[in-house]
Amino acid sequence: MDQSVAVQDSLKEDENCIVAAQCQFFVNDVIESRLVSLVECKSEYGIFLFTHRRMAITKDDISLDKVVPITKDCTIEEVLSEFPVLGADMTVRITSDSVFLELQLPFSSHSQRFLDETCKACHGVDMSEDPCPQFLWLSKYLPKSALASDSEKKGAFIPTAAFKGIETEASDNKRKTGTATVNGKSQVSEETKQNIQNISDNNAVRDGKVKPEVNNDMVRSSSYTVANKAQMLAMPQFELRDNLIKCELLKREESYTFTKNYRFFVGTYNVNGQSPKESLLPWLKGGIEPPDIYLVGFQELDLSKEAFIFSDTPKEQEWSKAVYEGLHPESKYAMIKVIRLVGIMLLFYVKKELAEYISAIEAEYVGTGIMGRMGNKGAVGIRFNFHNSSLCIVNCHLAAHTEEYERRNQDFRDICSRLTFRSFDPVLPNLPIMKHETVLWFGDLNYRISDVDVEQVKKLIDERDFKTLYKYDQLKKQMEEKAVFDGFTEGELTFQPTYKYDTGSDQWDTSEKCRTPAWCDRILWKGKSVKQLQYSSHLSLKTSDHKPVSSIFEIGIKVVNEELYKKTFEEIVRSLDKMENECIPSVSLSEREFYFKDVKYMQRQVQTFTIYNDGQVPCQFQFIQKLEEPAYCKPWLTAQPCKGFVAQGAKLEIELEVFVNKTTATKLTSQEEKLEDILILHLERGKDYFVPISGNYLPSCFGSSLQALCYMREPIQDMPPEHIQQFTLMPLHPQTEPSNTLEKQLDIPKEVWMLVEHLYRNACHQADLFQQPGLRTEFEEIRDCLDTGMPDSLPGSNHSVAEALLLFLDALPEPVICYSHYHKSLDSSGSYTQCKQAISTLPQCHKNVFNYLMAFLRELLKYFMFNNLDRSTLASIFGSLLLRPPPGIKQDATQKKKVQEFIEHFISKQEDVS
Amino acid sequence: MATAPYNYSYIFKYIIIGDMGVGKSCLLHQFTEKKFMADCPHTIGVEFGTRIIEVSGQKIKLQIWDTAGQERFRAVTRSYYRGAAGALMVYDITRRSTYNHLSSWLTDARNLTNPNTVIILIGNKADLDAQRDVTYEEAKQFAEENGLLFLEASAKTGENVEDAFLEAAKKIYQNIQDGSLDLNAAESGVQHKPSAPQGGRITNEPQPQREGCGC
Ligand SMILES: Nc1nc2c(ncn2[C@@H]2O[C@H](COP(=O)(O)OP(=O)(O)OP(=O)(O)O)[C@@H](O)[C@H]2O)c(=O)[nH]1
Ligand SMILES: [Mg+2]
Repeated sequence: MDQSVAVQDSLKEDENCIVAAQCQFFVNDVIESRLVSLVECKSEYGIFLFTHRRMAITKDDISLDKVVPITKDCTIEEVLSEFPVLGADMTVRITSDSVFLELQLPFSSHSQRFLDETCKACHGVDMSEDPCPQFLWLSKYLPKSALASDSEKKGAFIPTAAFKGIETEASDNKRKTGTATVNGKSQVSEETKQNIQNISDNNAVRDGKVKPEVNNDMVRSSSYTVANKAQMLAMPQFELRDNLIKCELLKREESYTFTKNYRFFVGTYNVNGQSPKESLLPWLKGGIEPPDIYLVGFQELDLSKEAFIFSDTPKEQEWSKAVYEGLHPESKYAMIKVIRLVGIMLLFYVKKELAEYISAIEAEYVGTGIMGRMGNKGAVGIRFNFHNSSLCIVNCHLAAHTEEYERRNQDFRDICSRLTFRSFDPVLPNLPIMKHETVLWFGDLNYRISDVDVEQVKKLIDERDFKTLYKYDQLKKQMEEKAVFDGFTEGELTFQPTYKYDTGSDQWDTSEKCRTPAWCDRILWKGKSVKQLQYSSHLSLKTSDHKPVSSIFEIGIKVVNEELYKKTFEEIVRSLDKMENECIPSVSLSEREFYFKDVKYMQRQVQTFTIYNDGQVPCQFQFIQKLEEPAYCKPWLTAQPCKGFVAQGAKLEIELEVFVNKTTATKLTSQEEKLEDILILHLERGKDYFVPISGNYLPSCFGSSLQALCYMREPIQDMPPEHIQQFTLMPLHPQTEPSNTLEKQLDIPKEVWMLVEHLYRNACHQADLFQQPGLRTEFEEIRDCLDTGMPDSLPGSNHSVAEALLLFLDALPEPVICYSHYHKSLDSSGSYTQCKQAISTLPQCHKNVFNYLMAFLRELLKYFMFNNLDRSTLASIFGSLLLRPPPGIKQDATQKKKVQEFIEHFISKQEDVS
Repeated sequence: MATAPYNYSYIFKYIIIGDMGVGKSCLLHQFTEKKFMADCPHTIGVEFGTRIIEVSGQKIKLQIWDTAGQERFRAVTRSYYRGAAGALMVYDITRRSTYNHLSSWLTDARNLTNPNTVIILIGNKADLDAQRDVTYEEAKQFAEENGLLFLEASAKTGENVEDAFLEAAKKIYQNIQDGSLDLNAAESGVQHKPSAPQGGRITNEPQPQREGCGC
């Protein structure tokens, strides 16, 4: 239900409650209900939190608890639980540098609107060019204590390190990184790009978008910004469902996938800036059976200054071509992706027929060279999904020099933290390397053999005692200390060190430096179903001072069984449908139908029923209007409360009240209308319940016309209904009764006679007659008496009878001086003759009643000593009832005066008008 | 794992109308829960069910409103016709009176929905063939005369229940495709999902591929 009215009620004139919603709020571990609302003033926004009564309608029902100004550093986000349940409460987190709030809102349109509006407001502040909002208007709402604590922080409302500020800084950083290396990426040859584009249109399009715009990087670097959050919230149901299905599919992955082994070739080669001079087939062939996937890494592709500065090198093409030509001849391969950072390049090929199972390809690079950024050292990485498994491939070149192993460790950690991949969903944070099921990491890791002299090393190599030699390997030691490559595995080294040879030979380095041979080039892996089939170097290749290294892996890949997948998918969709249907708010009603028996004029009848929330979600209910009806119920009916909120398992009592007064009595008596209505109890986002209401109305002289009553010789309730209907619906005869009328009309209604006669007989001496109110219970007795019988005397005090007379006159559908005579009568108020003239044209029974009443009033005035009545008092009391303005016409003071004058003429004289 | 367009891209609103006891609620229940409710209480109000279906590879969410059939609620249930993309008009093949009332239901449906609303006539309780009171041919002719889709179904056995909801959805979808249903029009009864970044795939739709480079 909308409680914003109550909030608005509590605000100042220029403040505007945009939306209010009920929510739950944790106060010292206790959940309390709050009304949360978004308030706007001069384009500044604040979130107001109120404690409140169950049904807040006015400002007295709520009291302000907290105010959070929406500053530039303020973020609003929906916290999605890991497995969100459709229709469940939503949690909204509001954070700024001075506030942290978590609210729980019921799943409803109000809640959604609150979220949408607040995000919009937040976004607006964020985008605005204006100086920081001042929130001066909020100061009046802040308690003294809050101000005190704020003053320490001095202007907590004026954002210090604004959200925007941080954002800009971050993007600046990113840009700096970008300028040093971005060319390295765009280096990918046109032809290659073409290929990539054709392999995966989606990815290519996204690549194209991201590259030139630093802005997009910004979006990516922060996991949520107000902008994309708002976008996400725009279709909450759609999004929520997507996530649910994704979660469920992941959870049940085993039920629709099976593991299939694929052959991966991994190669790494530091080519020392050389161009290819020999066939790479010996390195790349990888055995008799053709590998399914090739992942080939190079380092030091180009050592020229130009490559370093301009990041453009012909070597990329040359080596790509050489690799392509060296792939296993018995299979055809498709190039999926190339990524290069200066001299570090990674090529990704897959057997043509498998290309369609590769998806979500992303490539990234990270420089760790000079200034920790430049691209002469660093890593390139490709992540992709193969069938249903995720893989990440990293080719790196770590810091050189024997003593620099700590730097190498550092480089590794840098790469781990900085090399991240865009995730598919722009809302989700970037994917780090380690979040993949399988990681293959290789390259010129540059770890050396140390703490042993060169001669000893060469001797061990000659003896092929690699086990002993391995003990001096820095990588082994660092891994044992868990200083680097924690969680990774490396196969046994059964080949001699791959560095450093005299180029073009198998000779160990003969230069002055005479470097100790080292296993610089390595291949490691991380992941469950990885089996290394082969790990070796290739001495026959002599182009570089390094030897290439290769490994064949058999990797278990989760392959989707289409049929089972479809089945699981359908199951999930079905169960979500089911859940959604179960989450439709539902209540049970203690009573479905109501009958109000013997409803009487001006006598309240009340029945109650309870709404019990038996559904799985909290619900808001409201009685709603039917098509083309002005209100949710007929004027004689009310439901209290007519809208509200019922928590799960909670009950709420609704009171139905039937009350017939003068506005509804006439048509009920005439049977033009019945005591019948159907209430629609509407649950927000849920079912509607029809609540039929019916009853019988006991016809009454109250609300009946003078003419109809004149036809009724019996008490109205003894009359057959058809007669009542006939008499009450009969048009008013203009003057005298037509001759063809079936029954003889009474001169005046017997009820008028009884009331007046009673007063005449008993009340002439009554002090304060017509001035003191009667008793309600006595009125009811008098009413029943008039409607059911004709006793000699009426019950109740004189005052009650006097009031009954007034009520009777008030309830007449056509006043004694007919509406049609109203204006004429007022105009003639100056002259008694004209007044008499006006009365003479009334329908007979009206004229009779008028004369009768006037005679009675004149009589009363004779006893003014006792009853304290005077002419003008009586004239104004009776004038307002006998000479009523037609509906919709207002009376001003002069007109009231005229009405009084009109009556006064008659009660001053001693004659009837004929 | 890659994301995929798992989700529905349209919401269609349906109403189910027809005399009391013809099996409207049972049809809805059979459709959403695949179960038959042998003793289903009269609907006194409007109930609500949803299910996702697939039409021409598009996922569509049906939002179905089941109305009370009792005559005394007739005036009130009229409020619910607005904005329906599809209307299931149900009669009971074993009770001729429910068939005879169809023209009055049809008048309401035509007057209170928009001209594009797809109306499907359903002769329910087809399992009770022995007690049949309305022939298939007769109803078929009525449907044809009035341009309605028509099916006989059984909420009890489930026969044709899926089809009833699907046929209407197909027709609505077709109307969208050929442009005769304007999605932007108020009360079209169809909501379209705003375009979101399209994901990759989880199923293996073939993707175009290319020979390797550098050759
Ligand atoms: N044999 C048979 N019985 C059915 C079938 N469909 C419904 N029924 C029965 O018919 C009765 C009425 O079904 P409902 O679904 O409640 O009918 P309804 O149209 O929703 O009625 P109202 O809610 O009053 O408008 C129930 O007792 C059902 O069990 C059917 O296909 N075959
Ligand atoms: Mg029903």
